[in-house]
Amino acid sequence: MAKIEAKLGMIMDSVGQFFSGKDHLPYCDSDIVSGCEKEVLEAEKLSSDEQMQDCLLRLSWALVHSKHPQDVHRGIAMLEASLPSTKEPLQQREKLYLLAVGYFRNGDYSRSRDLVDRCLTIAPDWRQAVTLKKAIEDKITKDGVIGLGIAATAVGLIAGGIAAAVSRKK
Amino acid sequence: MDASSSSSQPEFDYLFKLLLIGDSGVGKSTLLLSFTSDNFEDLSPTIGVDFKVKYVTIGGKKLKLAIWDTAGQERFRTLTSSYYRGAQGIILVYDVTRRETFTNLSDIWAKEIDLYSTNQDCIKMLVGNKVDKESERVVSKNEGINFAREYGCLFTECSAKTRVNVAQCFDELVMKILETPSLLAEGSSGGKKNIFKQKAQSSDASSGGCCS
Ligand SMILES: Nc1nc2c(ncn2[C@@H]2O[C@H](COP(=O)(O)OP(=O)(O)O)[C@@H](O)[C@H]2O)c(=O)[nH]1
Ligand SMILES: [Mg+2]
Repeated sequence: MAKIEAKLGMIMDSVGQFFSGKDHLPYCDSDIVSGCEKEVLEAEKLSSDEQMQDCLLRLSWALVHSKHPQDVHRGIAMLEASLPSTKEPLQQREKLYLLAVGYFRNGDYSRSRDLVDRCLTIAPDWRQAVTLKKAIEDKITKDGVIGLGIAATAVGLIAGGIAAAVSRKK
Repeated sequence: MDASSSSSQPEFDYLFKLLLIGDSGVGKSTLLLSFTSDNFEDLSPTIGVDFKVKYVTIGGKKLKLAIWDTAGQERFRTLTSSYYRGAQGIILVYDVTRRETFTNLSDIWAKEIDLYSTNQDCIKMLVGNKVDKESERVVSKNEGINFAREYGCLFTECSAKTRVNVAQCFDELVMKILETPSLLAEGSSGGKKNIFKQKAQSSDASSGGCCS
């Protein structure tokens, strides 16, 4: 299973590069994700609540920037779960942004755009959010239907989706 | 976009990874923006890690610069440290109007480089930013020069806000990388294939790791 995941990650990468050819957002290797996971485990034993929050924020950053779709899903789930109880404005907008990155990565561009718009309402000159919004709009206009294909691959590991993506690549 | 997705041969001679580090608020993101874009105004602190790509021709070579910007905040540090690997150039930024951003260079940032940089020959550049606020300056140019000498860095002072010396700073760093054969070998566009190889290997390694 892990092998398939790795392979799929690589297909996704090349698909992404093929369609966009542009570098927008940083990627995160699996060792970074596992590093952040270790930190969370350690923090559970001996750290203050605030340190724990920081660890979780780093982990969600790593997950939504990961190359692997299932990491991105996990990141989205974590952020969705913690957003309602996040009251501090700075933390809230960080999480909104990361959630927008997550949905962007798994191909849900309209939800990603809604979130990034909320970020930009809070801070209109926020460059990372501006960059993300541009990336979303590029995807929506240029990739169109193909974007949905990538999303389907990411969500369901649908064999047909992969085959379609691979054959399009040729 | 079309050009880059359809052509398999690279449109540049070398790809270099540059990294910006230093305390929060010293002007790393502003420096990046003032080098890579025409209009820049950004008051939001960087979340995690961010990067911009800029194509330049320096020393007769077409270069693709991937410039990585890191959040200076403590709470992101374990994350940002992962992005030191593979950098051919590291830019250490301090604020000439805030003494602690200068003392933290030796207390924190030089140590981070020792710990996390994977490139022995990686070129370091010390940058004293915000020289437009000359009346508020508390770190003298000489202190900067001495620090740079001690740690084997290039040195410049600049203003990300007025763009004084910004392009020169990147030019000088890149020229130095171009003069360093070991860094050139890594950054050459022939080596681009290696990026994919490394990716494949690291995915395999990590999937092996999680099963064991
Ligand atoms: N006067 C002046 N202000 C600057 C300069 N560079 C950055 N700033 C300001 O310093 C603050 C922090 O800059 P930022 O780029 O976010 O710092 P970072 O945390 O290191 O990325 C912002 O308000 C910038 O407008 C400069 O050269 N001169
Ligand atoms: Mg910044």
